[in-house]
Amino acid sequence: RFLSPEFIPPRGRTDPLKYYIERKDMIQRRKVFNIPEFYVGHVLAVTTANPHASDKCSRFVGICIQRGGKGLGATFVLRNVIEDQGVEICYELYSPRIQAIEVLKLEKRLDENLMYLRDALPEYSTFDVNMKPVPRMDHEEIPVNKVQVRMKPKPWSKRWERPKYNIKGIKFELPEHKMQAAQKWSQPWLEFDMLREYDTSKIEKKIRKELSEELKK
Amino acid sequence: MMPIWTKSGEKHAVTLLKVQDCHVLRYVSKEESGGKTAKLLVGGKNVSPFSKPESAHEIFKEAGVPRKQKVTTFNVTDDAIIKPGTPLYAAHFRPGQFVDVTAKTIGKGFQGVVKRWGFKGQPASHGQTKTHRRPGAISTNKAAKVYRGKKMPGKMGNIYRTSFGLKVWRINTKHDIIYVNGSVPGHTNCLVKVRDSKLPTYKDCNKNPPFPTFFADGDEELPEDLFDEEIFQFRDPSVTFA
Repeated sequence: RFLSPEFIPPRGRTDPLKYYIERKDMIQRRKVFNIPEFYVGHVLAVTTANPHASDKCSRFVGICIQRGGKGLGATFVLRNVIEDQGVEICYELYSPRIQAIEVLKLEKRLDENLMYLRDALPEYSTFDVNMKPVPRMDHEEIPVNKVQVRMKPKPWSKRWERPKYNIKGIKFELPEHKMQAAQKWSQPWLEFDMLREYDTSKIEKKIRKELSEELKK
Repeated sequence: MMPIWTKSGEKHAVTLLKVQDCHVLRYVSKEESGGKTAKLLVGGKNVSPFSKPESAHEIFKEAGVPRKQKVTTFNVTDDAIIKPGTPLYAAHFRPGQFVDVTAKTIGKGFQGVVKRWGFKGQPASHGQTKTHRRPGAISTNKAAKVYRGKKMPGKMGNIYRTSFGLKVWRINTKHDIIYVNGSVPGHTNCLVKVRDSKLPTYKDCNKNPPFPTFFADGDEELPEDLFDEEIFQFRDPSVTFA
């Protein structure tokens, strides 16, 4: 089953009591306001309360490119291209100003972080503002979209061909010698580094149990 | 540190402070201490008694309390004297109060003048020989000496500093946690001294706190969480602007 990534505490020397207290608040908020299950690559529509808008609320549709932060400060960034201008908005999941979050299209992508869409052709980031929610058939699988995105000519905001970003969703049209030169920055020892291992299986089990108990009440 | 939202939708950062096994250890009267007011010695977190000699345990034995890691003094007026041995809880403070927090800052060790005092240093290129983060001149010609207190490299951090006028947003009576606005000196899980604010703007802001302190075996039954009026509580529906 799905466990939202902001529930897993980061590795550090903080007292676990702090994370327990934070989780109680997060569960409290989830009981009142429904935060749906979503991954990076889903298309979401978010309505927030805006004191300066005429209707007092504003709606934004976009693809989720990144989910960051842990605990109550968890955020997600939605990207869309509106009238030829790329717009990214970073929302806080637990902010009280959010009125509703709807998932319009469910699909995972090959990467966890879609920041490269900023350097891709704008057609890959445009989504219709009045899109209807796509009905979901099975309650088990979330389809993985294996689209290979075509990029604008270089220079890019980050050197996405380098192995540190480990991006699988771009169709690199760079010459072979450039791709091999980029492999110079690969760090093959990183995957064997034991100090960087963070095994979250036991923590996740405990948190899942706690969540399921609390949300049933 | 955690985010907290007000009813108007603004976000503030908040530090969580836990009141762990605080007991009053001794009462020192005004004449004995030689100051202007009476003093109360208060001890924090419990710690094993085996790492200090018996002579250091006297204060704790008199109060009937296990050995504490830190002992601080609070200057107290005569009507706020508490009997030694009473435990102190987070409910001593109320949301909406203003508070000063003192702690030892994170130690940075021996640091140069650029990090310690914020000097600009020298340019990276254009002929500088081996001089990029040095203090430069330390005095004038006429003075013919270096003044006392001249800012120079040395040990930085690990000294007591206070942040003044921090608002208390929320109190958790079950786990004894105080939510204090903004940041607080010190590393995570360090010992911290929390006092009523001495700033003149917050002199009358005390909002009827329990005086002299909150007694657990008293008649008052407090709810688990005490919130300030402006805080957005997660039980309420989302904020809308009319």
